[in-house]
Amino acid sequence: MAGSGRDERAWVRRAQAGSASDFEALFRAHWGPAYRAAYLVVRDAAAAEDIAQEAFLAAVRALDRFDRRRPFGPWLHRIVVNRAIDWARARALRPEAEQVDAPAPERSEHDDELLRELGRLSPEHRAVIVLRYLLDYTPGEIAELLELPRGTVNSRLRRGLDALKERLR
Amino acid sequence: MRFEAPVEREAAERAWTIVRAAYAEREPVTWPRRHARPLMVAAVLVAVVAAALSPPGRSVVHSLRKAVGVKEAEPALFSLPARGQLLVTSRSGLWLVRADGSKRRLGRYRDAGFSPHGLYVAATRANQLVALDPKGDVRWTLARPAPRFPAWAGTRTDTRIAYLSGGRLRIVAGDGTGDHAVGAVALVPPAWQPGPRRVLAYMSTPRSVTVLDVDRGAVVRRMASGERVRKLAWSTDGRLLLVFTPHATRVYDSRGRAVAQDDPSDATFDRDAAFVGRSHEVAAIRASGTSSNVFSISGGRLYFRGTGVLSQLVWSPDGRWLLVTWPTADQWVFIQSEGRRRIVGASRISAQFGMSSRVAGWCCAG
Repeated sequence: MAGSGRDERAWVRRAQAGSASDFEALFRAHWGPAYRAAYLVVRDAAAAEDIAQEAFLAAVRALDRFDRRRPFGPWLHRIVVNRAIDWARARALRPEAEQVDAPAPERSEHDDELLRELGRLSPEHRAVIVLRYLLDYTPGEIAELLELPRGTVNSRLRRGLDALKERLR
Repeated sequence: MRFEAPVEREAAERAWTIVRAAYAEREPVTWPRRHARPLMVAAVLVAVVAAALSPPGRSVVHSLRKAVGVKEAEPALFSLPARGQLLVTSRSGLWLVRADGSKRRLGRYRDAGFSPHGLYVAATRANQLVALDPKGDVRWTLARPAPRFPAWAGTRTDTRIAYLSGGRLRIVAGDGTGDHAVGAVALVPPAWQPGPRRVLAYMSTPRSVTVLDVDRGAVVRRMASGERVRKLAWSTDGRLLLVFTPHATRVYDSRGRAVAQDDPSDATFDRDAAFVGRSHEVAAIRASGTSSNVFSISGGRLYFRGTGVLSQLVWSPDGRWLLVTWPTADQWVFIQSEGRRRIVGASRISAQFGMSSRVAGWCCAG
């Protein structure tokens, strides 16, 4: 779980000053959501790991310039989701015959089916659904994160959910 | 939905090893450095206002610029560190600077660009597109309303100039003949793709990039941008296209796929970006509070850091030197990017070229 806003600002401030333990707290709080978001968009564990890792390396490079008044999570998630969409688009252009992935943790059949159908949506629809229902961003926040008009976010959410509902019947 | 991705914890440990190492290698910014820059810039701003109000303030501005800029900077631009010649536009007009530092004012022109081999210059003024030789002699003119951003490309025998006029992209042959409109265009300089084919990238709207095969009159590709694009640039081999915006820069390959991106954090933005020499790497100027950094967006390598505004990145024709323009210090800084790291500064840029100077090109011919 991500820490409170106050915790997070303190971690960022102390990490900027060189505290490795506070930087680790920041990493531990945000790795899970970042990795899961990437995985749900790209549906490839190795690519998700690379994407989330690259986002954290970007965070290290930008740490001194980061404005502590702003929340860290949305900035990180924007990088992760944009890169995941780019990766998924590129993958769609050169589909591979077989995708071998790491074994998934145990889930209910319904969850498996839901995730499978989520993977069949376009990267753009997957991204807004992941941001809305996994990371709990509001449509307005998603619009800012992905630099999309709010109406586009709403229509992608609606179409994505409609497609999921239709396929899960 | 409760969900855990495959191998999440193992992936976290692997990533943490790498991210921790990157964190350990960084150099934290100390309190005095973090706070000295805002004070310094505030002082510069106060001094600039003072200069505007009273003549004696000018000496204060000069002193502060010296304090902000590169310490060992030359008092003027005595020479260029690499072969080639620079085109510089400013409120006083258009200047040509040779490698030995000699400068020639070509006249009162607004925008300019070199011909492919640096033998001529295309320039614009109120209602004319003009072709000049390096002495400033006019070879031909073309009357068009408020032309902007001439970009000249081609071989030694067959060239084209793309430019903007009246909200349209226009193309004319290098001898001034065959001028014609291509389509609607936003106010961003177009960019020719290096290579044998005549392919041009331009902004058909402020957020829509169009790549056009000029000879076939066919659109090769369109790409959308999330925000207004400020600059288009091709890598020297023509394989990658840089689409620069202050908050979301993208690099696209020949199939229109984004292969690199730069997303500054909320409180920062980029002022310029350019391919590093002849590589596919991109360097950017990141403005953060009162300081600016020039760094590689993929490798994170820091080329230069300065107080105040760094404005432009321009690479030498051989790709070994990076020119960073620094209006706050009234300096240009040349940074050797290969081999031994060297920094050469030149001061009093506005006294030599006039106010609001911009580098319009650093080109090939000696």
